[in-house]
Amino acid sequence: MSYTEKTRDIYQAQLAEIKSAGIFKEERFIHSAQAADIEVEFPAGSDLKKVINMCSNNYLGLSSHPEVIKAAHDGLGNRGYGMSSVRFICGTQDIHRELESKVTEFLGTENTILFPSCMDANAGVFEAILTSEDIMISDRLVHASIIDGMRLCSAQHDTFKHSSMEHLEEKLLLHADKRLKLVITDGVFSMDGDTAKLDEIVNLCEKYGAMLLVDDSHATGFIGKTGRGTHEFCNVFGKIDIITTTFGKALGGASGGCVSGRKEIVDMCRQKARPYLFSNTIAPVIVSGVLKVFDILSSSTERRDKLEKNAAYWRKGLTEAGFILKDGNTPIVPVMLFNAKLSQDFSKDLYNDGIYAIGFFFPVVPNGQARIRTQISAGHDISHLDKALSAFIKVGIKYGILGLTKDQIIEKYGQ
Amino acid sequence: MDDYHHWIISLKHHLCIRFCEYYIQMYNNYQKYLGIQLREIKEAGLYKNERIIVSPQGAEITLDSGQTVLNFCANNYLGLSASKKLVEAAKHALNTHGYGMSSVRFICGTGDLHKDLEKKIAEFFGTEDTILYAACFDANGGVFEPLLTSEDAIISDSLNHASIIDGVRLCKAQRYRYENADMEDLETQLQLAQEQRFRLIVTDGVFSMDGNVAPLDKIYQLAGKYNAMVMVDESHSAGVVGKTGHGVTELHNLRGKIEIITGTLGKAFGGAIGGFTTGRKEIIEMLRQRSRPYLFSNSIPPMVAAAGIKMLEMMTQSNELQDKLHLNTEYFVEKMLKAGFDIKPTQSAICAVMLYDARLAQELASRLLKEGIYVIGFYYPVVPKGQARIRVQLSAAHEREHLDKAIAAFTKVGRELEVLKKMHPDV
Repeated sequence: MSYTEKTRDIYQAQLAEIKSAGIFKEERFIHSAQAADIEVEFPAGSDLKKVINMCSNNYLGLSSHPEVIKAAHDGLGNRGYGMSSVRFICGTQDIHRELESKVTEFLGTENTILFPSCMDANAGVFEAILTSEDIMISDRLVHASIIDGMRLCSAQHDTFKHSSMEHLEEKLLLHADKRLKLVITDGVFSMDGDTAKLDEIVNLCEKYGAMLLVDDSHATGFIGKTGRGTHEFCNVFGKIDIITTTFGKALGGASGGCVSGRKEIVDMCRQKARPYLFSNTIAPVIVSGVLKVFDILSSSTERRDKLEKNAAYWRKGLTEAGFILKDGNTPIVPVMLFNAKLSQDFSKDLYNDGIYAIGFFFPVVPNGQARIRTQISAGHDISHLDKALSAFIKVGIKYGILGLTKDQIIEKYGQ
Repeated sequence: MDDYHHWIISLKHHLCIRFCEYYIQMYNNYQKYLGIQLREIKEAGLYKNERIIVSPQGAEITLDSGQTVLNFCANNYLGLSASKKLVEAAKHALNTHGYGMSSVRFICGTGDLHKDLEKKIAEFFGTEDTILYAACFDANGGVFEPLLTSEDAIISDSLNHASIIDGVRLCKAQRYRYENADMEDLETQLQLAQEQRFRLIVTDGVFSMDGNVAPLDKIYQLAGKYNAMVMVDESHSAGVVGKTGHGVTELHNLRGKIEIITGTLGKAFGGAIGGFTTGRKEIIEMLRQRSRPYLFSNSIPPMVAAAGIKMLEMMTQSNELQDKLHLNTEYFVEKMLKAGFDIKPTQSAICAVMLYDARLAQELASRLLKEGIYVIGFYYPVVPKGQARIRVQLSAAHEREHLDKAIAAFTKVGRELEVLKKMHPDV
C-alpha cells in the first residue's frame, strides 16, 4: 500500500550504490546441463555462447551424469513428483530413510537426518542441541549458513583465528566452565580451498572435553583417499561428533543437505530442528539421484582420483605460468588478483575467450584479496584444462601480471 | 630387539584403547543429557514418529506396513504431487538440463528455466518480479534482513508461520505483534510503530493450523491509513483460495496491490520443493543482491523449475482442479458438521476438527488409521495448550467416495470416543 515513491527511491538509491561500488551481482543464464562445456546467455538477451565452466561445485562431474539422470527418471516413475508435506506428517518415504542410512555408512557416523539444503541443516542444528549454558567456538572463516545458525541459537558464541590451533586452545581454556563446548569448522574452506587441521582440532577437543562439528560441503565425495571427506584425509574418520554436508555440490548438485553424527544428536534434530519440522524434505526425484551417486562413489574411486590429478595439473600449470595461487591441495584453486576491478575485468576477458570463471571480491573475501576462484571437476579433460590455461595466460599477459609478486600487482592496480 | 618391538606394539595398543576410552567419555555426558531430554519428550507424548510411505503421494497411499490408506493430511491441495504432466515435464528437463546445477545462482547456477519460472510466478500473482528460493522457509528466512534496518518496524500476526518468525529473528527491525487477525490490535501496533521509518505488516494468507484467511482487505486499509507496506505468505492459499485459486489477493480483490508475496512450490503447486518471493521490482532486485539463503545456497534444480512452469501453465488453462477442491471442501465440512463434529470455521482447504485434548486427538488419529484414514493429531506446542485437534486437508485428488469413507470413519470413531455433539442424535 505505502510503497510510495519515497520507498522506491530509497531502494533504488541503495541498488545504485551497489552498482557504483562495482559489486552488483549479475546472473548469467545457462541453457544447457551443468558440465565442463556449457551454453550461456550473457549478457541477458545475447546469443548463446559455448564456454568451459571453471567455477562450479560439480567436483565429481556428476551433475548431468547419465546414470544419475536415469535414477531420477525412475524415481519420478516410482515415487511421484512431490510429497506436499513435511517429514513428520506424511512426507517420509522409504527412500528418505534409505538415503539417511547410506550417508551414515559413507561418512562413518551413527545416524543421519536429511534437510532441504545444507544451509537449512546449518541453520537448524545449533538451536536444536544447545542452550544458553553452552558455548559455540567457531573458526572465523566458516560458511554464512553456520553464522546464521549460530545467530538463531541462544548458546554463547566465540571465534578463533582461521585455523590457528593456539588461538583455539586459548578459547577452549577460556570457556572451560561452560556446560557443553562445541567447536565448529568447515572441512574445506570455500574461498581459499585450504583444509581444516582436523587431526589437531580433534586432539584439542579431546583435551578440553569439547564436541566437534565439521561442515564438509566442499569435501564430501572427493577429499580423502576414498572421498569420505576431510575426516578421512586427516585420519580422524569416525571421530567427528557432527558432520553437516550437502548434496548440492559434488554429490549430483541438485539440492539437499544433512546432519550426520551421534545418534542422540540426530534424534534431537528430528524433534526440534525448525527447518526440518517446518519445511518439506528433499523431493523423491532428488533422493533417487543422490542414492545413485552413492552407489557410483562406493563402487569406485575413479572420479575422485581423476579430480585429484586434474587439480594438480591445473595448479602446476598456473604456477609455472607465473600466477599467484592460494596454497592448498583441494580442487578449489584461487588465482589471486587482489584488486576487485581487475578480478572483474579478468573474468570478462576470460569469458570472451570461452572460459567461464567468476571474480570474487569484498565482502565475499576480505578487502584487497580479490581473486578468480577456479574449481576443478572430474568432468574436465586435460584438453579443457589446457584451453583454460592458455586463456588465463593470454589474459594474464594482457594485464601484465604474470611473474609479478603480490606487492607488484597491488602497486600496478591498487588494492 | 624383538622384546622391544613387542613392547612398543603393546604400548601402542594400550594407548589406542586409552585414547578411545577418553574419546568415548567426552561425548558421554552430552549423550546422557540428550537421552534425558528425548525421554522427556516421549513421556510428554510429544515425540514425533514418522510413518513411512512407499508409494507416490496421492489420495490413496501405501505405508511400509503394506496397508493402503486414504491420505487426509497432505498439502497436496490440487492433487498435483503425482501428476503425470508434472512428472513428464520433470523428466523432459532432466534430459535437456541435467540433474543439478552444483552452484548458487550468481556463480553458475542460473538456468533459463529459472528465469522463465520467475516470470510466470510474477504473471500469476500480478506482481513486478520474482526471486526463487530452495524453499519458502528460506524465502521467509531471507526476506526481512536485506530490506529493513533497526530504523524500521515489522508488525507480525501472532499465528504466523515458524519461518516468518525465524526471518524476523534474523532482522534488526523493531518488532510488533498483533493477535491473530485482530484488526483493532493491528491498528494499535501501527500507531505504536509510527516513529519508525518503514513499517511492514506481515501475515499468513491462510493460517495453517486453523484454516482461516487473513482479513487482507482490512489490513490493506490500515496499511494505507498508517503508511505501511504489506507482506503475505500465500503458502496455504496459492492454488486454493479465490475463485481461480490465485490466493488471498484474489479473494480480497487486491491483485497487484501487495508489496511482497511469499509462497511455496512444495504444497498445492506440485509439492516437491522450492519457494519464492514476488513483488515490487526494487525489492526483488535487492533480495537478489543481499538475501543470504539466495546467495549461499543452490536454487531449485532444473527439473523442479520445469515442473513449476508446467504447473502454472495448467493453472491458466483450466479451473477444474480448483473447482473440485472447493466442492470437496464444502461437502466434507458440511457432512462433518452434520455428524456433530466441532469444526473451526474455514475459508481454505484446511478443516480443523477440534478435540481440545492432546491424548484424545492422538487416540482418534490412531483409530482412524485402523479404519484406513491417515490423519495426524496436532497439539501443544504446534497449537496452543487445550486446543488439540485433527487437521484434515482436502485435495482435488479426493473423489466423492474417498470423502464418504473418511466421513463414515470419523463418525464411527467419533461415536466410540464420544466426541460428537449431542444435538445430532439421528447421526
